[in-house]
Amino acid sequence: MGFDVMGFMVSWLTLFGIYAILSLTLNLESGTAGITNFGKALFYGIGAYVSATLTTYLILMSNGVDINETPPYDIRGIILLGELGNKNPLLNIGFTALSLVVAFAVAGLIGYLLTYPILRVGPAFVGFTLLSAGELLRIFLQHYEPVGASKGLMAIPTPFSWIAEGRVRELAYLGLVMGLVALTYLAVHRLVNSPLGRTLRAIRDDEIAALCLGKHVPRTKATILFIGSGFAGVAGVLLAYYLTSVNPNMFMPLVTFNVWAMIILGGFGNLRGSLLGAAIITFVDRALTFVTPQLGVAVISPDYLRWVVVGLLIVVVLLVNPKGLLPEGPIKTPALDVINEELRDDSK
Amino acid sequence: MIPGLQQALMNTVQYALFYLIFSIPLTLSYRTTKVINFAHANFITYGAYVAIFLHGIAGLDMMSVAAVLAFLVTGSMAVLNNLLVFAPLQKRGSSPAIVMISSMGLWIAYKYLLYMITDVAHHYTGRNFVSYGRITYSDVPRGVIGGIGFSQALVASLIATTISMVLLYLLLEKTKIGRAMRAVADNPWLAEISGVPRSLVVNLMWFICGGMVGAGGVVWTSFSGAITPEAGDSMILQVFTVGFIGGLVSLMRTGMGAALIAAIENVGIAMLNAYFGVPVSFRPFLTFATLIITLIAFPPLGAGGGLPYRFLRRGRK
Repeated sequence: MGFDVMGFMVSWLTLFGIYAILSLTLNLESGTAGITNFGKALFYGIGAYVSATLTTYLILMSNGVDINETPPYDIRGIILLGELGNKNPLLNIGFTALSLVVAFAVAGLIGYLLTYPILRVGPAFVGFTLLSAGELLRIFLQHYEPVGASKGLMAIPTPFSWIAEGRVRELAYLGLVMGLVALTYLAVHRLVNSPLGRTLRAIRDDEIAALCLGKHVPRTKATILFIGSGFAGVAGVLLAYYLTSVNPNMFMPLVTFNVWAMIILGGFGNLRGSLLGAAIITFVDRALTFVTPQLGVAVISPDYLRWVVVGLLIVVVLLVNPKGLLPEGPIKTPALDVINEELRDDSK
Repeated sequence: MIPGLQQALMNTVQYALFYLIFSIPLTLSYRTTKVINFAHANFITYGAYVAIFLHGIAGLDMMSVAAVLAFLVTGSMAVLNNLLVFAPLQKRGSSPAIVMISSMGLWIAYKYLLYMITDVAHHYTGRNFVSYGRITYSDVPRGVIGGIGFSQALVASLIATTISMVLLYLLLEKTKIGRAMRAVADNPWLAEISGVPRSLVVNLMWFICGGMVGAGGVVWTSFSGAITPEAGDSMILQVFTVGFIGGLVSLMRTGMGAALIAAIENVGIAMLNAYFGVPVSFRPFLTFATLIITLIAFPPLGAGGGLPYRFLRRGRK
């Protein structure tokens, strides 16, 4: 039996990249700033739907299709999208760039606005409010006809759908995903290893102390949720183009918990840990999709078993090794280098 | 006159009773143990499934038996959660957020464990347990009194709520162990120094809270038309909002919250539907709006470590 190693690697790495963006930003929000964000799926979903809606409508409109007669969620619209989606490379790439920017802005803005009601209350209320906001988005999308209601949107033209060769197309897309992961990592790394990063840790460890030291806790939290949610929106865009379809049930609260499992496994407050956690869990997921068909008919669905394991993983890691695989390290700011330099000079 | 107003009012009473029996234990368990338990939803579902398995496999249709068994099962689950997860974490000094995240892990694990159990049960009995219809019980009366139709669910929830509230009141106010529970809720350290066996009290509290929700889950099977392993999750928004209205502290305000949310959801959506054509399935939006208003207007400062930012702005120019 031939096993397509290359295909496996490409699909795993693409999935890893999407989840890496989510886990990096969740680690920034929760691991560093202490905002218990249980609503990652909300911002992820917003990003995916923004890009799906923008791309499908704009592709149809730019080809002169009357979207009142053949909307993209209609079966004729889906067929048209399949025909028109790979005609003009410039359009595809242009709409992708537009989707990324708009998704970042919309998801970030909603994250920013949602901080208003939750600033006054503790972690439980924050987590729960964001969690239920995500569920409401799902209920709304299930009943909102212009984005396809419960069927969702299909045949979304991807940035590289004009490339005929399948493997080349996948690799090009992987390149885009990896580029955005690198961008996210750099941005989050810069934020954490900066004076702002120190403030964030202060807020996480003792909010009242940070407040008394004159740190503007509400504004800092809102900023972080804006950035984190914006990048989660970008991850959503990548997911929509990767799967070429979106539907409301892709953004269950479970998605959020999956990301939580990644950052807890990898290490709370450690960015490389988030990457490691995302890599391990997505690898197991991809491997399971290859192994499951080999098992034949089982009494217990491996999918259920997988979620039981993820849930227990969160509990066990917190109990046995709460720091995760890679523990949190010190913050590396320029100021720290200066101090070290001076200390070295003094000791001479 | 809004069409369906009478039905909406009946539903308000019915849902208020359910929210009461599901939310009071949430507030009570938080007060005593300081754990925000996201696995609360599992207690509802597991309670309901005790009744379903008794009905579907053993052919038993006595709600009283199912309720007692469900109380024991979910109460033991709650105690196990505490002994194996919450207590060790708290003992090590983990922050409330970490304990909450661990409860979230338990929530996922329990939920999919139940899916696995239903799969196994399906394999051996050939019956579908993933979506189970309403159960008609033989030991619950029903009928029409004074023009009001008392369904089995209404009778059962009235009885269950009354019994549990009276017992809770007697336990908390009239017994020594109840005094110990309130002492632990008010100040755990002082209670411990005064000789209250704190871990015993906490475990007992978990048993009562978990069991009460499980028994409520059994009552839910006589009301809901299709019970799935997601049954508890679909109510978590309402149950937590009711608890938050009470600030996770006040039992009285929690009770009022239950009536408020039930009224907003049933009467409110009936009115919106009649006047603006809003789909009935949008009712969670009303609950969410109430939640947001509660958080902005009456932020529960004590619970969950909230900060009084309202007073921050006054000091600034």
